[in-house]
Amino acid sequence: MAPIVQCMGLTKTYGGKIALNQIYLNLERGRIIGLLGPNGSGKTTLIKIMNGLLNPTAGDIFIDGLRPGIDTKYRISYLPERTYLQPGMKVMEMVQYFQDFYPDFRVDRAYDMLARLQIQPYERLKNLSKGTKEKVQLILVMSREADLYILDEPIAGVDPASRDYILHTIVQNYNRNATILLSTHLISDVENILDEVVFIRYGNIILQAGAEQIRKNEGKSVDRFFREVFAC
Amino acid sequence: MLAKLMKYEWKATWKLLIPINLLIVVMTFFACITVRIDFFNTDNDGIIFSAVMIILTYVASMFVAMIGTAVFLVYRFYTSVYGDQGYLLHTLPVDKHYIIFAKVLVSGAWVLISSILMNTSILFLFNEEEDIFSRFMDNMNVMVEWAGSKEVTGFAVVMTLIAFLVEILARVLKITACISLGQLSSNHKLLMAFAFYFAIYIVQQIVNGFYYALLGYINKMTGEWYYGKSWEYSLISGLIYVVVFYVVTWYVMERKLNLD
Repeated sequence: MAPIVQCMGLTKTYGGKIALNQIYLNLERGRIIGLLGPNGSGKTTLIKIMNGLLNPTAGDIFIDGLRPGIDTKYRISYLPERTYLQPGMKVMEMVQYFQDFYPDFRVDRAYDMLARLQIQPYERLKNLSKGTKEKVQLILVMSREADLYILDEPIAGVDPASRDYILHTIVQNYNRNATILLSTHLISDVENILDEVVFIRYGNIILQAGAEQIRKNEGKSVDRFFREVFAC
Repeated sequence: MLAKLMKYEWKATWKLLIPINLLIVVMTFFACITVRIDFFNTDNDGIIFSAVMIILTYVASMFVAMIGTAVFLVYRFYTSVYGDQGYLLHTLPVDKHYIIFAKVLVSGAWVLISSILMNTSILFLFNEEEDIFSRFMDNMNVMVEWAGSKEVTGFAVVMTLIAFLVEILARVLKITACISLGQLSSNHKLLMAFAFYFAIYIVQQIVNGFYYALLGYINKMTGEWYYGKSWEYSLISGLIYVVVFYVVTWYVMERKLNLD
């Protein structure tokens, strides 16, 4: 089977500034992959291009063999860094919204996760804390049966006690043939669930390797290795 | 998908815009009572003061409704398309044309509802109730005649109304196009949107000026004066603006999307 994501010479420039520099990258199916890099390394730009939120300056990108568009949006479940929920809506209305637009959305799964996190469906989003809103967003995203989940900083805004539950939620609820691309700064928190990591710096992919392979070859954790590679 | 988008757009707007429009109805009711009972024709200063206050509140409510509707619709478009909510909207598996249609049709409907309510309100306020329908038809005749038709026909009335609807769509799309163009700037996106709005406004005024100057020249040459078939001009220019502003909005959304 072809990789779920294929980048071929993918380049993005803003004015004269290069955000992505001729990236060649293949992401295989059925993997949990960490997209790791410091601020301004190009992670979010790459994620936005995958989601069709930005157009590349040059090169090509394919999601399941297709260029980003309506068809790829059916395949990708995307959790952005921002809170994209409409504040005036209730949690249950947001669930209905996802059900209306995504045929692969599992309502029962969403309500089950909401109940586990004790989030009331009739609560208005504007009355929820920032962390709870992020949990609602994650529940909506993980309630889809997508081929590719792209999670941009999924645990950054929540308390450490909830992080384990969220990571557990991610691992338990994704389709086993699907790929999860997870961008985060909190590497030590996610390290245990990662199959593979991609290091990105100044718009260049500097490493793509298995998490276990790094631990074995380097004799240290991915978090420790990351700190050494990206040391200022 | 268009129906679903429109449903959610309607849901997101009615909670504020229904009360705003109800304000027009309620204030019209009080203003009509004040004028009909003729509270002004008394020696009691307190009653006169109250009557003046009611009329002033009525006028203020009209401005609030007009400006409030416009500001809210602009804000709604900006936040839902180019703000944080845009991350959800633009990752829905829907065509960008549907997104624009949903936004413009629902906004256009609200502008139309407000316009009808305000005009009806003024009609009620300044006319006797039994006289309203004939007064409405008189106004329509005046409007059609002013719009340039030499005689008031059913066709002219229909075309004038269509020109009016196209004008509403053109105005809504002008705002969506300006906000979209503002997104091309990496900084000062809203400021740029205002700059584009005023630049386009000036261009439109120049185009109108040329048209009426040309019309004046033709009138002078033919010796037969008329105001120009304005519904035709409004319709044609309106349709051109609709197409241009639509294409600009679509192009930015499809090819130049730049969410922060």
